[in-house]
Amino acid sequence: MTVRRLVEGTLALMRKRRLDRELEDEILAHLELAERDAMARGLSPDEARLAARRSFGGIEQVKEEHRDRRGFRWIETLLRDLRYGLGSLLRAPGFTAVVVGVLALGIGANVAMFGVVDGVLLKPLPFPEPDRMVGVWEAPRPGVSNATSVPDFLDWKRLATVFEALSAEQTVSAAIDSGGEPVRLSGKAVTADYFRVFATGARLGRTFTAEEDRPGAAGVVVLSHAAWQNYFGADPDILHRRILLDGEPHRVIGVLQRGAFDRDQTQFWKPLVFTPAQQVREIHWLAVYGRLRGGATLNQAVERMQAIHAALLELHPIDNREGTIVVEPLARLLVGANLQRSVSVAFGAVALVLLIACANVASLLLARGATRRKELAVRAALGAGRGRLISQLLAESIVLCLMGGAAGVAVARLLIRAAAPILSQALPFTADVRIDLRVLGFAAAVSLGVALLAGALPALQTPFGNLSESLNRAARGSSGAHVRARRAIVVGEVALSLVLVCGAVLLFRSLLKLQRLDTGVRLENVITMSVDLPVGAYPTPQKAALFYQTAAQRLRAVPGVAQAALSTHLPLQWIGNGEGLKAPGTDKFVYVRFKRVDPGYFATFGIPVLRGRGIADRDRDGAPRAIVINQALAVRLADVAGMKDPVGKTVRLTCPGYLEKRVFMPEVEIVGVIRSERVASPGSPDPAVAYVPLAQVPALGVRLIVRTRAETAAVMPAIRKAMREIDSNLPLGDVATMQQVRERTLSGSSHPAWLIGAFAGVAVLLTAIGLYGVLSHAVTQQRREIGIRMALGARSFDVLSHVLWNAMSMVAAGLVLGMLGAFALTRVMKSLLFEVSPLDPVALIVACISIALIGLVAGFLPANRAVHIDPVTTLRDEG
Amino acid sequence: MSKQQSEVPYGTLDLLILKTLEAMGTMHGYAIARRIEQVSGDSLQLSQGSVYPALVRLQQEGWIDTEWGISETSRKVKFYSLTRTGRKQLRVEVANWEKATALVARFLEASS
Repeated sequence: MTVRRLVEGTLALMRKRRLDRELEDEILAHLELAERDAMARGLSPDEARLAARRSFGGIEQVKEEHRDRRGFRWIETLLRDLRYGLGSLLRAPGFTAVVVGVLALGIGANVAMFGVVDGVLLKPLPFPEPDRMVGVWEAPRPGVSNATSVPDFLDWKRLATVFEALSAEQTVSAAIDSGGEPVRLSGKAVTADYFRVFATGARLGRTFTAEEDRPGAAGVVVLSHAAWQNYFGADPDILHRRILLDGEPHRVIGVLQRGAFDRDQTQFWKPLVFTPAQQVREIHWLAVYGRLRGGATLNQAVERMQAIHAALLELHPIDNREGTIVVEPLARLLVGANLQRSVSVAFGAVALVLLIACANVASLLLARGATRRKELAVRAALGAGRGRLISQLLAESIVLCLMGGAAGVAVARLLIRAAAPILSQALPFTADVRIDLRVLGFAAAVSLGVALLAGALPALQTPFGNLSESLNRAARGSSGAHVRARRAIVVGEVALSLVLVCGAVLLFRSLLKLQRLDTGVRLENVITMSVDLPVGAYPTPQKAALFYQTAAQRLRAVPGVAQAALSTHLPLQWIGNGEGLKAPGTDKFVYVRFKRVDPGYFATFGIPVLRGRGIADRDRDGAPRAIVINQALAVRLADVAGMKDPVGKTVRLTCPGYLEKRVFMPEVEIVGVIRSERVASPGSPDPAVAYVPLAQVPALGVRLIVRTRAETAAVMPAIRKAMREIDSNLPLGDVATMQQVRERTLSGSSHPAWLIGAFAGVAVLLTAIGLYGVLSHAVTQQRREIGIRMALGARSFDVLSHVLWNAMSMVAAGLVLGMLGAFALTRVMKSLLFEVSPLDPVALIVACISIALIGLVAGFLPANRAVHIDPVTTLRDEG
Repeated sequence: MSKQQSEVPYGTLDLLILKTLEAMGTMHGYAIARRIEQVSGDSLQLSQGSVYPALVRLQQEGWIDTEWGISETSRKVKFYSLTRTGRKQLRVEVANWEKATALVARFLEASS
C-alpha cells in the first residue's frame, strides 16, 4: 500500500458522509443523463428510466465497491462492530459492570506494578548518558567494600584518564536557619566535579566551579529544587541570600533543576574541602562516583583502576593493605539484586492475578454466549457469516476490555498515589514511578491482549451450526462444549490461585519468623532521636564528652524516663564505621565495626554482659582506654590470634579523630564481652563489633536513646524541654521509636509479603466468583434435571452432594495442577525468604486447605439453591 | 445477454478509462461510460456504474484529477481529466498490454 493510498484512505474514512453524498449525486446525474439520451432515442419516460437503471447496473453494489475502494473497509467494519458491541453491552449493564470491575482490578494492579517495574528496572537513570556513570570503591576482601582516603582519591583523579569526571562525597547534615525554626536537613559535601558526574545543571544560578573545593574558598551551597520550594518558599531572590548552615553563613549559588534529586534525601550540596590534616591514606571515608569518558568501557575503567591501585599500594605500603578496586555501573548500585528480585516476583504475581481475571471474564463471556445462542443463530440464519459473527463478538470483548483498561488506569493511579510513601522508601531516588505515556501504552496493550485472550475462546465456542438445532438447544438450555470450557477455565483459575496463595503464605511465614527473630535487645518503650553537635559550639572532644554526660543525666531525671543512653548507632542498624584491630602476636588486621556507646547503652537495651564488664563511668577522657567486644569478635580473635579469653587482653585499634580526618592507633584493653546484638539485616551473620566508650572517642553526631516507663509519646515534650535546657540551639532530628527502627530494617521483607498477600487475596476472590458463576449457571441449566430427580425421590442431601461434588471435583483438579505450578514457581522467591524453604509443606497445606474451603463456600450457595428447587413449578415451567 | 458480448477483462477497465480521457480530454462519468460503450461497438458488456469505483482508484493513484462542473442536465457533477503521471501510466499500461497480447498471439499461432 503506497503512502498516498494510506493518506487518501484515512482521509476518506474521516469524510465518509460527505463522500457518500457526493457519490449519490454523481449517480443521480448519471442516471438523468442516461434517461435523457434514452428519451432522445424515442423511449417513453418510464422506459427511459428503466433502461438507464439497467445499463447502470446495481447501484448499491457500485456504492459498496466505491466505499471499499476509497477507504479501509475493515476499519469501517470494526468501528461499526465496536458501536454495535457498545450498544449490546449497555443493554446488559449488570454483566458489563461486573466484567469491567474485574478487569479494572486486574489491569489496574498490573499497570501500577508496571509503573514500578518501568521506573526501577526499565527506564534508564534520569541523568544524561547514564551508562557512563559508575561507583568506584576499594574491596579489601572480595564482597567487602571500603571507602577511599583523600590522597588515594586525588591520585585516582590525577591518573585515571578513563573518567571524564570523578567526584568524592560525604553525607553531612546541617541545621539550616532560614528565618524561622531551625530545621536539620541532610546534604552532601562534594568535590567540584560532582555535578559533572551527575550531569545536572542549575535552574537558578550555577553549580560549583573548580576553585570552590580548594582550601580558603568562601562558603557556598547549592539547593535542590525541592529544598528551595519547601524551606525557602521558592524565593526567586534566593541567590542574593545568605543562609546559616550550623550557624555559619553560606551564599546560595544555585538551585538545581527539578528532577531526580527532588526524590532524594539530599537537600543541599556544599563543596568538600580537604584540609592538610586529612591527607592521610589510613583513613577511608570518601564515596567516589565517576563518569566515564565517551567511548571508554567499564572493563577499561576496571583495568585502569586496578593498575593504579596496585601502583599506589607499592608506592605507599601501609600495614599490608591488600585487595582491589571495584568499578560498578551506578544503575546496578542503585537497584540491588534483592530489590530487582522483589519487583520481578511482585510483577509475576500480579500477572497471575490478571490471568485469573482474564479467565473470569472468559467464563462470563462464555455464559453470555450461551444465553445469546438464539440471537446468534437467528443472525447466522439471516446470512451473517461465521467470520463476521466472530469478529462482532471479538469487537464486543474489545469494547469491554477498553472500558476495563480505562477503569484500570484510574485504579492504577489511585494505587500508585496510595503506595507513594512506601515506594519512596523502598525504591532508589532515581526511580520515577508515575503514569506516563509508556505506562499508558502498556495499559492499552494489556487491555487488547486481555480482549483477545478472554474473547477468543468464547467467540470460537459460540455455535454457528444449523438454526433449528441451535434454537431448540437454546430453548431447552442444555449445555455442551461451553460448559466443559468453563469448567476447564475454573480449574485453571484454582491452579493459578494456589500458586499465588502459596507464594503469599511462604512470604508471611518468613515475615513471622522475622518478627519473632531475637534481636538481642529490648525494644519496648524506647524512643530515639538524633543530635548533631555544631562544630562551632563544640570545638573540642572534651566539650562534646561533657555534653553527653550532661544529656544522659538530665534525661534520666525527666519524670517517666526509666533509662537513657547515647550511642553513634542504634541496634538493628548497620554500623557504617569500620576500623582495624590488631591483636598481639599477629600483624594481620581484624576488620571490626566501630560503635561508640556511653555507659548506659547496654543496660538501656538489656544487652547482657557475658564476661568482664560493660562500659563504665570511669572510662572517660584521660583514663586507660577500654573497649567491649561482641561474641562475634571474640570468636574472630580466637581464630586469628588464638586468643582464648579476650577479657583483660590489650590490643591496638584504629580510632577516628574528633574533627580532623585522621586516625590514631592507641592500645586498648578489652574489658568485657557482650552477647551479640543484631546489627545487620536479618539473614546475614553478626559482624565483629568493637564498642568504644563515647567519652574517650567522642563523635559529633549521636543518637539519644530513652526508655520510658509507659507510652513514649507522653514523655516526648519533657524530653525536648530537657534538651533545650542543655543547649537551646540543638534541633532533635529523626525521632523514632525502636519499633519503628525495627520496621524500617524489616521493611525489605514485609513489603513484598503484604503486596503479594494482597494479590493472592484478590486472586482467591476472583476464583471464588468464577467457581460460583459456573456452578450457579450449571444449577440454573439443570433445574429440570434436578426437578425430575427430586420428583423421582432424590433427597435434598443427594442434590446438595451432587452440586458440591461437582464443585470439589473442579477444585481438586485445580489444586493438583496448582501444586505442580507452585513447585515450579515458588523457587524464584528463594532469596526473599528467611528461614523458610520454597517447598515448605506447611505453606502448601495451608494454601490448599484455604482454597478448598473457599471452593466449598462458593459451591454451597448454588447447591443450596438447587435443594430448594420445587419440582412441580420447574417441570410445569419447562413443559 | 448475447454470447458475442464479453465482460470487461480484469484490469482493462482502467486502461480503457485512461485511454478515453487521453483521447477526449476532460469529461464526466456518464460520458466516459458512454464513450467506452460506443467505441467498443456494443461488443462489450459494461455496467456503466462500474466506472465509478475504477475512477476512485485511478484518482487515488494520482493518475486522474477531478473538478466540479455542471452536467448537460444542469446538475453538479465531477469532471475527470488525465494528469501528467496518468499519461505516463497510460503509456506503461499500453506497452504492457501490447506485450501481453503479442505473447498470447504468438503462443496461439505456435500451437495451431
